[in-house]
Amino acid sequence: MKHTLIALIVATCGLLAVPAMAQAPAAAAMPAAPAGLYQALGEKPGITRLMDDFVNRVVKDPRIGSHFKDTKPAALKESLTDQVCQLSGGPCKYEGADMKSAHADMDINKGHFNALVEVLQVSMDAQGIPFAQQNRLLALLAPMHRDVITVR
Amino acid sequence: MKKISSMAWVAGLALAAGTAHADTGKLLLTGGVNTIAGSAGGGLTPWAVIGTNATEGEVGFSGYATRAATQDYSLNGYGVAVGLHDRVELSLARQDFDASPAIALNGIAPFGVTPGQHIKMDVVGIKVKVLGDAVLDADTWVPQVAVGIEHKRTRPGSIGSVLDFLGTKRSGTDVYVSATKLLLDKSLLLNGTLRYTNANQNGLLGFGSAAPGKNGRSLQPEFSVAYLINKNLAVGAEYRFKPNNLQALGAAAGLGTALREDDWKDIFIAWAPSKNLSFTLAYVDLGRIVPGITNDRRQTGYYLSAQLAF
Repeated sequence: MKHTLIALIVATCGLLAVPAMAQAPAAAAMPAAPAGLYQALGEKPGITRLMDDFVNRVVKDPRIGSHFKDTKPAALKESLTDQVCQLSGGPCKYEGADMKSAHADMDINKGHFNALVEVLQVSMDAQGIPFAQQNRLLALLAPMHRDVITVR
Repeated sequence: MKKISSMAWVAGLALAAGTAHADTGKLLLTGGVNTIAGSAGGGLTPWAVIGTNATEGEVGFSGYATRAATQDYSLNGYGVAVGLHDRVELSLARQDFDASPAIALNGIAPFGVTPGQHIKMDVVGIKVKVLGDAVLDADTWVPQVAVGIEHKRTRPGSIGSVLDFLGTKRSGTDVYVSATKLLLDKSLLLNGTLRYTNANQNGLLGFGSAAPGKNGRSLQPEFSVAYLINKNLAVGAEYRFKPNNLQALGAAAGLGTALREDDWKDIFIAWAPSKNLSFTLAYVDLGRIVPGITNDRRQTGYYLSAQLAF
């Protein structure tokens, strides 16, 4: 099963750019990468700063910090920057693990997922990203809950 | 007596907060505020969201106090709710409606309505989430859907003789289905509720009526829309259709539109300074409430609610 998943990673990376189509259960999918989002996030430098701040906060968060104790922060920052850059319509290519296999070995429940969203909101506030734009990014990330949450 | 019981509720909540599993499971404002019947939603209409801060795997509690006042009437309400695993919501609400204008009904017939009569109503609610996630399923049009019931019991005091004359029952059960969707990329929340009810003025004037064809329950739609201005602030509007079961009875008794019931609507602003506290201020338009004794005035005014949630 795991070998099959690894083999599918390359295909999944391509699918990550269109998360809507991959996840939507028999209903019209929302469009990906709304116009202007990449710019609103400050393009690659802005997203780098955002993910830098986000990872720094998340590893110290009392609710979910322990989930990151075995993660190399620098690697996570780079990975997230590529992911968010690509998702928001930027000229990046995320080539890391898909969300499901990346989180399969962890005990993540809905409360953890919501806590992570909150930390991201705090980071976006700190970077001065307007609330409406924050929600446009969250709309692209939120559906990942289906793959990230392992405890239902 | 009322002051003591509300203090007891606050103390009970504080105790519950200490034992509640998590105080911050949900994202801000995603548990809705409280309807006047105690369920989670807007001020007038229940939503498909399960109340309190509890998310999956958690148990949460919330309590609220509400006051609304219009030209001729006022309503105090308070209640508590329990949220179980973001799946089931149980709520208990009490309403105290100042129906003082009803004394004018003694001029129509010797009803014996006493001065300053209040109508009290208790509501027990159960809501179950059936499918969907209003907030996180941002890549699909599928809403969060919940079904619920509100069992209401009215204690009209000396207005009871009026309700007997109208042939209304003292208790009734509303059944509803709600579909709620947060269009996250637009910061816009939409809700549609379909309620199967025969409550007159939400139950304050009893259930059903003696008028032929106006006793049974009918389907009444309700709508809410809310825009998230920032993490802590939302503005919105609601519209609630009403069955208007009593107008025909009033007309048959030669009273014209004296007992007409109008749709309810409001515009509101909800502010949540923290995960545990939220305030809602609304301008409500409750239309005509027994216009025969209130000079056909539309009842408009303010609605103010505070909610503690864990």
